[in-house]
Amino acid sequence: MALLEVDNLSIGYNTKKGYLKAVEKVSFDLEAGASLGFVGESGCGKTTIGMALMGLLPPNGSVKEGRILFEGKNTLEMTDEELRKIRWREMAMIFQAAMNALNPVQRVGNQIAEAILVHDPSVEKDQAMDQVENLFRLVGIPLDRLRDYPHQYSGGMKQRAVIAMALACRPKLIIADEPTTALDVIVQDQILGEIKELQKEFDLSIIFISHDISIVAHMCDHIGVMYAGQLVECGPREGVFESPAHPYTKALLSSFPTVTGKRSDLIPIPGETPNLVVPPHGCRFCDRCSGPEASCSTEPPQWVEIAPGHRALCCRC
Amino acid sequence: MELRKYITKRIIQIIIIFFVILTVLFLLFRLAPGDPVSMMVDPDMTQEDAEMLIVQLGLEQPLGMQYLIYLKNFFTGHFGFSFHYGDPVVDIIWDRLPNTVLLFTTSIILSALVGVFLGKIASWHKGKKVDSIMTIGALVTHTVFLPWLALILIWIFAYKFGWFPINGMISEEVWLDPEAGFISRALDVMYHMVLPLSTLFLIHFGAYLLIMRSSMLETLKEDYILTARAKGLEEKVIRDHHAAPNAALPVVTSVGLSLAFSINGGALTETVFTWPGIGRELVSSVSQNDYPLAQACFLMIAGVVLISNLVVDVLYAYLDPRIRY
Ligand SMILES: Nc1ncnc2c1ncn2[C@@H]1O[C@H](COP(=O)(O)OP(=O)(O)OP(=O)(O)O)[C@@H](O)[C@H]1O
Ligand code: SF4
Ligand SMILES: [Mg+2]
Repeated sequence: MALLEVDNLSIGYNTKKGYLKAVEKVSFDLEAGASLGFVGESGCGKTTIGMALMGLLPPNGSVKEGRILFEGKNTLEMTDEELRKIRWREMAMIFQAAMNALNPVQRVGNQIAEAILVHDPSVEKDQAMDQVENLFRLVGIPLDRLRDYPHQYSGGMKQRAVIAMALACRPKLIIADEPTTALDVIVQDQILGEIKELQKEFDLSIIFISHDISIVAHMCDHIGVMYAGQLVECGPREGVFESPAHPYTKALLSSFPTVTGKRSDLIPIPGETPNLVVPPHGCRFCDRCSGPEASCSTEPPQWVEIAPGHRALCCRC
Repeated sequence: MELRKYITKRIIQIIIIFFVILTVLFLLFRLAPGDPVSMMVDPDMTQEDAEMLIVQLGLEQPLGMQYLIYLKNFFTGHFGFSFHYGDPVVDIIWDRLPNTVLLFTTSIILSALVGVFLGKIASWHKGKKVDSIMTIGALVTHTVFLPWLALILIWIFAYKFGWFPINGMISEEVWLDPEAGFISRALDVMYHMVLPLSTLFLIHFGAYLLIMRSSMLETLKEDYILTARAKGLEEKVIRDHHAAPNAALPVVTSVGLSLAFSINGGALTETVFTWPGIGRELVSSVSQNDYPLAQACFLMIAGVVLISNLVVDVLYAYLDPRIRY
């Protein structure tokens, strides 16, 4: 049984313009200890999936259909209290805006200890602080910073503290949403390296979200490419990078000389993403596709298996 | 340490502001149309006493010299004599000051605490009945005309029901009774304080409630609240330990800012309830042309407001580590 099984998940937001279909029929599996990277342009629904997994969609957001099975149990059917208990203990999240993820009026060490204490009432306060010390060693924050407040930290240290916090309860799954975008390249590389080591050390499963395909390539052994709320291609890293099937994946990859080569941001693909309140009936990538077929604009494309475990949502494959 | 630097800076600022007030007051009383001698010297005094006082206040000297003498008198506590009471102004001030500080600080602390608490609750039930009732209640009490509110309270609780007194702050029978201990005297003062305190409280808490409510609503959108929720904390813990301490900061700032504006209401309330404080003394001394007393009252009120501001600033630094470190 996979650690996480997401099945036909659709999520939307109530907005002034109508119901915005932010995520449509997304399915994927994640094995224990595996890493899956979601990549795609801004607004394609990456964060929305992460929030839904944590059960933290904003009040105007809701899951329309589908299942999220975490260790076989559907989290969408859990009560708030059941959900609260698995949060952080079983799955933790590093949020996109990690720079503001720490409470400015509380000491960093206490904020991390709080996560430990709330999930394990048998732990004493100073035992928890000892654990926080270990976490600080692990992520490389000097121990004399334990009693500092967040504003006394540099950006990189805050990021490390947030990672330490995510590890605090030894969760099985960590969702890392653009964990390094606010940092300069050198610190970014260091922290990505650390995340990778920690993942091996603790046998973590990671869902890594980024708009930077080279980071995802570096970090994850499975890749999910998203476009306008849909997963359009999904498979093992080698498969997706060596024989991309979906025109959008190809377009993304064409901006990178080699997968492991020089990093650069996405070169925008001409055209605009479709309106998600009234999405096109056919393929959502149709307007920007390099070689659409006649049926593409009228018929929604079907999943095609490219190789075992590698699939794409395109009629031309 | 940063905190010491911050407080020192505040104290220096306050001293400067106080000097400005001192100077403005000097100019107001000396340069106002009319004879400064007739303003500062009681017309009922004997010729001899009057001349002595003129020398003491330096009224026969040029303006610059007068200013220096004025400062010297201020720092040595010579404020002259009240026309109305005939007593040294210092004695009157020292007698009234504690009463004002008692009423003023209690009302500010009470309205801030209650405002913060209710604002937190209202924001938590945003859009529900509790929220609407509290918000409307706060708006009404906050905007109501103070003398009118005071009269309503008097009419209901003193006149209709006869529950609370409105004459001063003590009952003579309690204070003249040698048997009465500290507790019964304190209770007597509290009993007299109920109505003036309620008036000031009702006028002030609404603003704090509204500020806390909107500040809470903003704070709840912050990323660290999302973190707290993701950590699996209970909603109550998120509200009380993560959101409220951050949301209360703007309330503390606004308490500091509103202090100066609460003088008006404070003086009115003291007058209406014959509370023997500086504010009431200010109102009566001004209307009786008791200039020495009026001047000293002005200074004392300015001093009280400035010192309260300092206390608020220190409290803010205590609550917000970004200032402390
Ligand atoms: N609270 C919300 N209310 C309404 N619409 C929302 C809300 N949050 C996100 N959306 C919309 O849902 C879509 C998906 O947003 P999401 O944040 O998941 O994208 P993303 O892939 O994480 O983008 P980015 O790379 O910019 O973080 C977008 O069109 C966005 O405008
Ligand atoms: S389905 Fe058609 S339009 Fe869509 S990506 Fe494939 S070829 Fe292009
Ligand atoms: Mg995002």
